[in-house]
Amino acid sequence: MADDKDVLRDVWFGRIPTCFLLNQDEVTEREAEPYYLLLPRVSYLTLVTDKVKKHFHKVIRTDDAEEMWFEYEGTPLKWHYPIGVLFDLHASNTVLPWSITVHFKNFPERDLLHCPSHSVIEAHFMSSIKEADALKHKSQVVNDMQKKDHKQLWMGLQNDKFDQFWAMNRKLMEYPTEDGGFRFIPFRIYQTLSDRPFIQKQFRPVSPEGHVHTLGDLLKEVYPVALPTEGGPKRFQVVIHGIEPLLETPLQWLSEHLSHPDSFLHICVIPVPSD
Amino acid sequence: MRSWKNHVRGELQQRDQTEKLPFIGVFTSLSQMEERFEFRKTCLDDVQSKSLDRGGREVGKDTRLLQLQLRESEHLAEKLSQTVSDLTTVLYLKEAELQYWQSRVSHFRQEALSLAKGSNAMKATLSEFEYTVECQSKELAALRTEQKGINQALEQACREKEELLQRWMEEKREEADRLNKYNAAQERWQRFAKQLKKHLHNARTKEFVPIVTSSWCGEAEMSTSVIQRINNTYRDTTMSKL
Repeated sequence: MADDKDVLRDVWFGRIPTCFLLNQDEVTEREAEPYYLLLPRVSYLTLVTDKVKKHFHKVIRTDDAEEMWFEYEGTPLKWHYPIGVLFDLHASNTVLPWSITVHFKNFPERDLLHCPSHSVIEAHFMSSIKEADALKHKSQVVNDMQKKDHKQLWMGLQNDKFDQFWAMNRKLMEYPTEDGGFRFIPFRIYQTLSDRPFIQKQFRPVSPEGHVHTLGDLLKEVYPVALPTEGGPKRFQVVIHGIEPLLETPLQWLSEHLSHPDSFLHICVIPVPSD
Repeated sequence: MRSWKNHVRGELQQRDQTEKLPFIGVFTSLSQMEERFEFRKTCLDDVQSKSLDRGGREVGKDTRLLQLQLRESEHLAEKLSQTVSDLTTVLYLKEAELQYWQSRVSHFRQEALSLAKGSNAMKATLSEFEYTVECQSKELAALRTEQKGINQALEQACREKEELLQRWMEEKREEADRLNKYNAAQERWQRFAKQLKKHLHNARTKEFVPIVTSSWCGEAEMSTSVIQRINNTYRDTTMSKL
């Protein structure tokens, strides 16, 4: 069960200052002012941008307004990735506030999923939680929960209620003491220099010999390129929630404390900035 | 505390120092002002439209201001009520969490108790085993002493056996010598007997001629007495040796 509540709080209340700018090609009735918002790292773009939509709808013609989507320096931003992951992956070395361009036309069908309502985000979120619990507890915990418990998890995220969310999420973070951890660690490794969306494999928190697996062990097994070579310069940064944990950090602890609300440990591998 | 955990804590704080804290004040203020502005705008529009509706007679500026203040107070009251509701929910959640932790504490206490019982049982078993080991080591020491004595006796017996064997060999050697001597004497005797028989035969052959002449009678008798004497001598010698 997760302890170190201060870490959980810091993770939950991580914020990214963002400036939303309307795409210049959009037809407007008057000049669109930028919209500033502190985005929660653990939430989803389309879940927290209702105000942004409302703000820009005031200036664009209603006939021209299609589904809203976001882009950063030419890269369409996937709403189904947590905001923190999008920032770490595409803009971690940018000057703050993070400038995101808002579009209401030319939806990139090949790059993005449609998000007509919050229920789509809820479905995606709950499916991630169920997938993670299948890896952690063979779905036993999530299946034992009632519908209202599932709703509590979702409402906790939607309304940014840490206590409400963690009152239920702690059940998903429990494991038998004798097992020493979850069955498998739910993780996803994102890379900027690849067409592959992410790497996801089955990896246990403890070796068959009883040794505790660390973040370094996971990368060595799954994505060894991310590790620094002996004597050579560091080429990649391994970032979770905007920080670089030490490679000797136990994976089980990371999964319990640095997982996103969808129960997955989202790990970004980004090149070390050249300057 | 473990360094990796401190590192994560430090890095998270450092991250917030860079990303969150410099912006949170201004962003929150902006958001609040925006919300207030939107609310006031809506209220003002509403109040103005209502004031115009009342028979085309415009109400006074003070009344409009009062209505605006009233709306704002109502809005604030709503927000406060929402905050109270949120806090009540948090309170319930905290109570539930407290209960959960109490149940966990109780569970762990039970676990600790059963572990302590197990530990006591194991300690008792351990002391039993220690006693058994002590007894067995004493027994082993006694057995070792006994074994030492037996080994010494065995060594003595081996030595005695060796001595007896030596003696027996010596005796056998002597017996063999005696037998060899006897055999040699026997051999000599047989050779001698053979020679004597040969002599006797020769003598008889020669005697056959004097019988014819009758002049060598006494010589033939003398030869027979010599054989008897030799026989007697040999028998005496053998008997004395045996």
